[in-house]
Amino acid sequence: MRIASTQYHTTMNTALQTASSRVQDLLQKMASGDKYSLPSENPIANVRLSRLSREEASLDQYLDNIQTLHGRLAKDETVMSGMSSDMLSARDLLVWAADGTNSPSDVQAMADSLQPIIDSLFYSANSRDAEGHYVFSGTATDTPTVQYDPAAAVGSRYTATGNTQQQLVAVGNGVTQPANTTLPEMADILNVLDRVRTTLSTTGANANDPAVRADVMGALDGLDTAIDLNSSKVSGLGGTQNILNTLEDNHSNVSLSNKQAALVIGQLDYGDAAVQMNGYTAAIQATQKAYGQISKLSLFDVM
Amino acid sequence: MSIIYNALSGTQAAQVALTAASQNISNVMTPGYTRQGALLASVQPLQAGVRSPGSGVTVTSLLRFSDTYKSLQLWNAASELGQRNTAQPYLTQLEQVMGDDESGINSGLDTFFGALNAASVEPTSSPLRQQVITSADALAQRFNSLSQVLSNQRASVTQQRTTTVSQINTVSAQVADLNEKIVSAQALGVTVSGLIDARDNKIDELAGIVSLQVVDQPDGSRSVSLRGGQPLVVGARAATMTAQGNPDGSQTLTVDFANESFTLANNKLGGQMGGLDDFENGTLVPLMQSITDMAQQLTDNVNNQLAAGYTPGGTPGAPLFQFNATGTTGVLSIRPGVLSDDLAFSSDPTKPGNSDNLTALIGLQTQPVTLPALGSVSLSDAVTQLVAQLGMNSQQNNTALSTASTVRDQAEESWKSTSGVNLDEEAANLIQYQQMYQANMKVVAVANELFDSTLAVLS
Repeated sequence: MRIASTQYHTTMNTALQTASSRVQDLLQKMASGDKYSLPSENPIANVRLSRLSREEASLDQYLDNIQTLHGRLAKDETVMSGMSSDMLSARDLLVWAADGTNSPSDVQAMADSLQPIIDSLFYSANSRDAEGHYVFSGTATDTPTVQYDPAAAVGSRYTATGNTQQQLVAVGNGVTQPANTTLPEMADILNVLDRVRTTLSTTGANANDPAVRADVMGALDGLDTAIDLNSSKVSGLGGTQNILNTLEDNHSNVSLSNKQAALVIGQLDYGDAAVQMNGYTAAIQATQKAYGQISKLSLFDVM
Repeated sequence: MSIIYNALSGTQAAQVALTAASQNISNVMTPGYTRQGALLASVQPLQAGVRSPGSGVTVTSLLRFSDTYKSLQLWNAASELGQRNTAQPYLTQLEQVMGDDESGINSGLDTFFGALNAASVEPTSSPLRQQVITSADALAQRFNSLSQVLSNQRASVTQQRTTTVSQINTVSAQVADLNEKIVSAQALGVTVSGLIDARDNKIDELAGIVSLQVVDQPDGSRSVSLRGGQPLVVGARAATMTAQGNPDGSQTLTVDFANESFTLANNKLGGQMGGLDDFENGTLVPLMQSITDMAQQLTDNVNNQLAAGYTPGGTPGAPLFQFNATGTTGVLSIRPGVLSDDLAFSSDPTKPGNSDNLTALIGLQTQPVTLPALGSVSLSDAVTQLVAQLGMNSQQNNTALSTASTVRDQAEESWKSTSGVNLDEEAANLIQYQQMYQANMKVVAVANELFDSTLAVLS
C-alpha cells in the first residue's frame, strides 16, 4: 500500500498516545491501590464490591450494638447481684430473728437493720439510666418499676408498675436480643419484708410468738424464692452475653471473609501492574526509536 | 522544425509536472490536501503521412488523486466517532460521582439505617434519636447533591446542543459558499482542487457533528443532507437548524430550508448531536427519574411507618422526610423543626421503651422500591444497581468509541494512501521530470546542430 509521509507521524502519535494513556491509567491505579478506577471497567465487580461494603456497614453497626448491649447487660448484672446480696443480708437477719432466745430489744434492733436493706432494694429496683429512664420497667420506661405508697396498708404499700415486655435490639440481619431485665416480683418481696419489719418493730415483739414466727418464716420463704429467681435472671444475663459473644464471633468472621473477598475483587495486583507498566514503557521506547530511524530516511538527502 | 516543437512541448510538460510536485511538497503537512499530478498525453501528428511520429506531448489536465468512496468512508467514521466521543466525558463524570461509594447515597443510607439500628439499643435515648435525625439530614443532602450534579449535566447537554446547532448552521453556510465558488471557478477553467479540499474539510467537520448523506452534482457542487433526508446544503443554499427548549427540559430540533420546515427526531441524528441524545435519553433522564422516584418512595415508606407508631410522649408519629420533586433546594429534606422526641419508635402509646415500630423502620432497608429503569429492587441495593447500569452504558460506549477511533484512523490512513503526499515519491518525480526537461533541452540542441549543419552546406 502507498504510504503518505505524514502517516508515519500519525501512526507514531497514535501509538504514543495509546501507550501513554494506559501508563497514566496504571499509574493512577498503582497510586490508589484499586484494580478499577471506574465502575465501567468492570460493572459486575463494582456491584459485588458495593454489596460487600453494604454488608460491612450493617455488620459494623451490629457489632457496635453488641458492644453496647454487653455493657448494658453487665450493668444490669451488677445491680442485680447487689440486690441478691441485700436479700441475703435480710435473710441472715431473719434467720437470727427466728431464734427464740432474742430479747424484744434485740428483735427491735433487727427490725431497724432491715429498713436500710428494704430501701436499698427499692432503690435498686427503680434503677435509672443516664437519661432518667427506668431500667427494669420493661417497655414502660417512664414508669417506676416499683411504687411506694406509705398510706396503704402494710403488705400492699409496694406496687409493681412497670411491665414485663422486652426491648429488642437488632444484633444481626433479622436477629434481635432482649436488652432488658424486668423485675415485677420485687414489689411482692418488698411487701413481705415491709410486713415482717413492721411485725418485728412492734413494741414487745417476741420471736416465740407464733404470729411473729409465721411472719418471719413466710418472709424467709419469700426471700428464698426471690433469691432463686434473681439468680436465675442473673445467669440468664450471662447466657445472653454468651449468645452475643457467639454472634460477635460470627459477625467478625463474616466481616473478615468479606474484607478478603473485597481485596480479591478490588485490589490491584501490583506485580501484574508492574509487568504491564514495563510492557508499555518498552512499547513507547520501541516506537520512539523506530520513528527516529524511519524519519532519517529521505530521498532528498541523496539528491 | 517539428523536432524543436516536440522538444519544446516536452520542456513545458516537464515544467507543469515540476510545478505540481513543488505544490505537493509545499503542502506535505497541510491537513486534507489532495496531491496533484500532471496527466501527460502524446499529441497526434499535425501533418498527414506515415512518417510523422507525432507532435510532442501535452498536459491534458492536472490530475487530482482522490477517491470519493474513501472520502465518504472518512465522513461516516467521523460521525460515529463524534457520537461516541461526545457521550463519553459525560458518562465518565457521572461514573466518578456515583462510583464513589463513600460520598454517595449508598453510604448515606448505611449511616441512616445504622443510626436506626443503634437506636434499637436504647429506643428512648435522646442522643441516639438525635443521631437518626442528623443522619436523615445527611442522607437528604446526598440525594440533593447527586440530583444537582444530574441537573447540571442536563443543563450542560442542553447548552452544548444549542452551540452545536449554531455550528451546524455556520459550517453548512460555508459549504454552500464553497459550492458557489467551485461552480463559478470551474466555469472560468480555473483549477478548483484547493477549493474542493476546503469543502471536503468542512463536510468532514460537519459529519463529526451530525450524520450526513453527500451527493455529487453534475455542476461540481455537492448536496449535503441529514441521514433522515432533510436538506442542509443544496448548491449555493444552506438550511437553518434551530433548537427549541420544551417545558420538560427536552429540546425540539427543526430544519428550515427555503419555505419548508422539517421537525427532526433527536435520536436519529448521529454524530455529536446523536451522542448528546444517547447520553441524555439513554442514561441521564432515566437516572434523574430513578433518583427522584427513590427519594419519593423513601420519604413515603419512612413517613408512613413513623405514622404507624407512637412517640415517647404517646402521640402518633409525625413525618421525618419531606419530598419535593421540583424543589429549587433539592428533592429531599427533613421536616423543618423535627425533634428527637417526634420519632415514633414505639407501637404502643403507653410504652415508650417499646421498639416494634423501630424494628419495622429498620426493615425498610430491605423493602423493595420500584424504579423505572430497574423495576422492583431493595432500597439498599437500588443505587448499586443504578451505578452498575451506568457502568454498563459507559462500558458499551467506551468499547464503541475505541472501535470508532480505530475505524476513523483506518479511514484516514486509507484516504491518505490515495491523496496524501509522499516526499520520497515527489523527490523521485522531481528527478524524473528534471531529467525529462534536460533531455528535451538536449533535443533542442541536437535539432539546432542539425540546422547548423544544413546551413553550413548552403554557405
